[in-house]
Amino acid sequence: MTNIKILGVMIGTIAIYTWIANAIPQLESVVPEELSFSSDVSEAELVAAGAELYSGGAGCTTCHGLETRAPNLLTGYGGEGTIGTRCGTRVPGQDCKTYLHESLVNPMAYVVEGGFDPMVFQARVFSGAQIWALVAFLQDQGGVVTVTGADVAAAAEADAAAPAGGPMVASNDPLEIMRGNLCLGCHMLEGEGAELGPAFDGIGSRITTDRIRRSIIDPAAEIAEGFDHLAGSMPPNLADMLTARQLEVLVDFLAGQGG
Amino acid sequence: MLKRSRGRWFWMRASLPVAIVVAIGLIAIAMEPLAAQGYTPREYGDFPIIGSRAAIWIAAQLHLFFAAFVLGVPMFAVVAEAIGIFSSDDRYDKLAKEFTRLLLVSYSATAMWGAVLVFGLITLYPGLWGYLSEIFAPSMWVYVGIFFFESFTLYLYYYGWDRWKKGRAKWGHWGLGILLNLWGTAVMLIANSWLTYMMSPPAEVTPDTAPGMVQFWSAFANATWMPINIHRFIANIVFGGAIVGAYAAFRFLSAKTDEERAHYDWMGYIGNFIAISALIVLPFAGYWLGREIYEFNQQMGTTMMGGFMSWLWVVQAFLIAVLFLAGNYYLWIGMGRIPGAERFMPYTKWMLLVLLIGAAVWATPRNMIANRAEITAMGGQFHPFLGALGVMSAKNTAVNFMILTTFLSFLLYRRANKKAVVSWEKRGTTIQGALFVIAAAVVLFYGVYGYFVPNIVRIGFSVYQVLAVITAIVLVIVIDMLMMRGAKSRGEIRWGEMPERSQYALFILAVTFTWLMGLMGFARSGIRQHWHVFEVLRDTSVDAATPALGYASIVISVCVLIFLSMVSFIFWVGGLAEKPVISGVGGGATGSAPVARDQEI
Ligand code: HEC
Ligand code: HEC
Ligand code: HEM
Repeated sequence: MTNIKILGVMIGTIAIYTWIANAIPQLESVVPEELSFSSDVSEAELVAAGAELYSGGAGCTTCHGLETRAPNLLTGYGGEGTIGTRCGTRVPGQDCKTYLHESLVNPMAYVVEGGFDPMVFQARVFSGAQIWALVAFLQDQGGVVTVTGADVAAAAEADAAAPAGGPMVASNDPLEIMRGNLCLGCHMLEGEGAELGPAFDGIGSRITTDRIRRSIIDPAAEIAEGFDHLAGSMPPNLADMLTARQLEVLVDFLAGQGG
Repeated sequence: MLKRSRGRWFWMRASLPVAIVVAIGLIAIAMEPLAAQGYTPREYGDFPIIGSRAAIWIAAQLHLFFAAFVLGVPMFAVVAEAIGIFSSDDRYDKLAKEFTRLLLVSYSATAMWGAVLVFGLITLYPGLWGYLSEIFAPSMWVYVGIFFFESFTLYLYYYGWDRWKKGRAKWGHWGLGILLNLWGTAVMLIANSWLTYMMSPPAEVTPDTAPGMVQFWSAFANATWMPINIHRFIANIVFGGAIVGAYAAFRFLSAKTDEERAHYDWMGYIGNFIAISALIVLPFAGYWLGREIYEFNQQMGTTMMGGFMSWLWVVQAFLIAVLFLAGNYYLWIGMGRIPGAERFMPYTKWMLLVLLIGAAVWATPRNMIANRAEITAMGGQFHPFLGALGVMSAKNTAVNFMILTTFLSFLLYRRANKKAVVSWEKRGTTIQGALFVIAAAVVLFYGVYGYFVPNIVRIGFSVYQVLAVITAIVLVIVIDMLMMRGAKSRGEIRWGEMPERSQYALFILAVTFTWLMGLMGFARSGIRQHWHVFEVLRDTSVDAATPALGYASIVISVCVLIFLSMVSFIFWVGGLAEKPVISGVGGGATGSAPVARDQEI
């Protein structure tokens, strides 16, 4: 009898813990999609992978599709049709595929007219195959997909030669870090940069050091006053692209920007 | 006759782990030439039904449970033996021997699960195994060697107990106990280096670094190695104490005589005492470990405390609250068998209140850093209530209060049946009270002030809080020892007169701690996410995603159940083989042990 009671208490305790662990929100850590296409990947596979990236992990829809922050891609924009139809006409002599690819890996190279700031997008975070999948998806929006398995294979080889990951820039100079990490693509500092987010001038006297750090690590945690409409547009993964040292350098530097 | 058969037992038990270890060594050597012939081993194997991940998970966790037990128990066996020597109190010597007997039988279980784990790794994760063994080969050989010595030291220690009982020989015997601990710790340090390497490989190691090129020492002494060594070392003491407590509780409940009951009541008290005293230190070690993880890699720290694991810490806090509550509850009930304790009983409800509030604060999650999918799953960026309490300041404050309260429980327990004879008793008690109040005030002050200062300053505050608490504890103990010199007894502790429900607190303590270990094992391994070696060697198996807590809890529960059944079996077998050693604790109310001795620890 005693033994049964002991058993009951033990099993009961275990059962309660198991129940609690199952009652809370179930969060899995999913593996980031890694596209490992072979060179005989089909067009449909590329487009499908690109579509998933576009509306998911790549975060394109935080800017595109709202009309105000960036030109529409999936629907017509400025009377020019969808991106698949207009991509070939953007730069004289440059075919659609090259243009789209350039737009992604080197967003500062071409800036669409219409009063937009240059697009801020860190192609480096994505593999070559992922970029090509995005291009294929965009081409598919009204155009002909010309991305091939050979493009993907070549990109994969380039990736293997220079693997991604690690910090964007090697420097510990605050300005270098900010330029290399596109901070100045959205923030102004002493006349340099763009005006999407709050200016860095005087930021040290506006908000605490702690909050500066948090704003970089987790931009969504607190939204700058007057920027509610832009909540979510500062990329959440910027801190991952910094070394711990660089993050501290940046925080110190910004905290030092008094009025 | 009986002697002979026990001898055979001995050699069987002695040779089993050794045989296993030798077999592993041979297999490792046999695999070597295969690789040299240009044969590429496959990356992953399959395990039927539950899958490779669960299989290796269970093997590793069970190995760890037993390993933690055989690491923790020798520590207090040796301490108990020393107390026995110094106080010439035979009870402690017998207790130490009984601890060691539990150890003996658990030792082969450790080795068996170790073998299951290694074979599991070789057959299911050959790629990872190859990678790790290429870096760590020398330490693996040393590990095997130490294991060998450890086994034999243990057998000498146990079976030599009665032979080397007197004079210089006794000291030699005690030296064996120390040696046993040294081997055990060395084994743990080595194994920890492998698993911490997977978590925090040195910065110069990249996916392109061939394992043969990794510097052994930088891999061995990696960023989280020492913090995990310390955290584990302490956790293993708690674990050992908790399991011993449960063993005693089991024996207590099935005891036939008052004498037996008195002995196992006392043993249960000591198990609980060890578990709770070490538990008090564990949060400090934990915060240090957490900080090192943050420092090693911000992203990993964020994943750990904020990302998909944020709820794990809520469950952890709940389990720890249960530990504190069960430990204190046991003490409070225990006061019932101490004459004079009645005068403290009214305080227990306030202590309970502090513990409950502390637990609630601790369980409030810190503001969670989460991605969009997680936010939707959680229903908001912040925990719906008490957001501000969720930050570190509040947690540190809460846990420090819980520690102070638990210490107070011990103090009252110690004090219960004593009546000081020193002239300054009143003043002494007032000073003690003042120390408590000061410590609590310091903790509270920095806890509140923490909200108004930047992070980096706040981390420093937790050091002041800890220092205040530790200083108070040390001073109060010193004063207490001086004050209780030659204290008069208000009556003997009536060992054995313990209501049965108190024993269930000991079971809950053991089960909870075991489960907590399983949970934290999952945390450690889960923060690597889809990496075998963080950001170096990717997990490309079908099980690469890290499961949610619900699934994890089921695996953990299975592990805990297997462990408890095996331990019960082992203890039961141990009980069959030998008559329980009954010490000279007085049985029931007729006990004759002097008060001062009852509370040596
Ligand atoms: C931070 C906001 C932002 C994000 C995120 C963003 N874009 Fe853009 N994008 C822009 C802006 C602004 C422009 C127009 C200015 C320019 O061309 O640089 C633009 C232009 C483009 C163009 C050229 C459009 C044309 O009409 O020629 C393409 C193609 C494009 N983006 C694709 C993408 C894709 C694919 C993603 C996701 C991987 C993405 N963008 C993410 C802001 C963004
Ligand atoms: C895509 C545009 C974008 C990029 C790139 C970007 N930010 Fe931002 N940032 C914003 C926006 C918009 C806000 C205001 C909304 C908010 O608080 O989330 C903001 C807010 C901030 C704030 C808080 C300001 C305040 O007054 O509260 C800090 C600090 C900051 N960013 C730093 C950085 C740093 C450092 C980088 C580079 C590593 C960076 N940002 C890159 C758009 C961006
Ligand atoms: C009272 C407080 C705590 C208790 C009782 C506790 C208990 C435990 C236990 C039992 C283990 C398993 C040890 C083993 O398997 O050998 C463990 C491991 C761990 N703990 Fe804690 N812990 C506490 C605080 C913390 C804190 C504050 C952190 C971090 C912020 C932390 C992080 C970890 C990690 C990462 C592990 C895994 C390491 C390993 O496998 O050994 N712990 N803890």
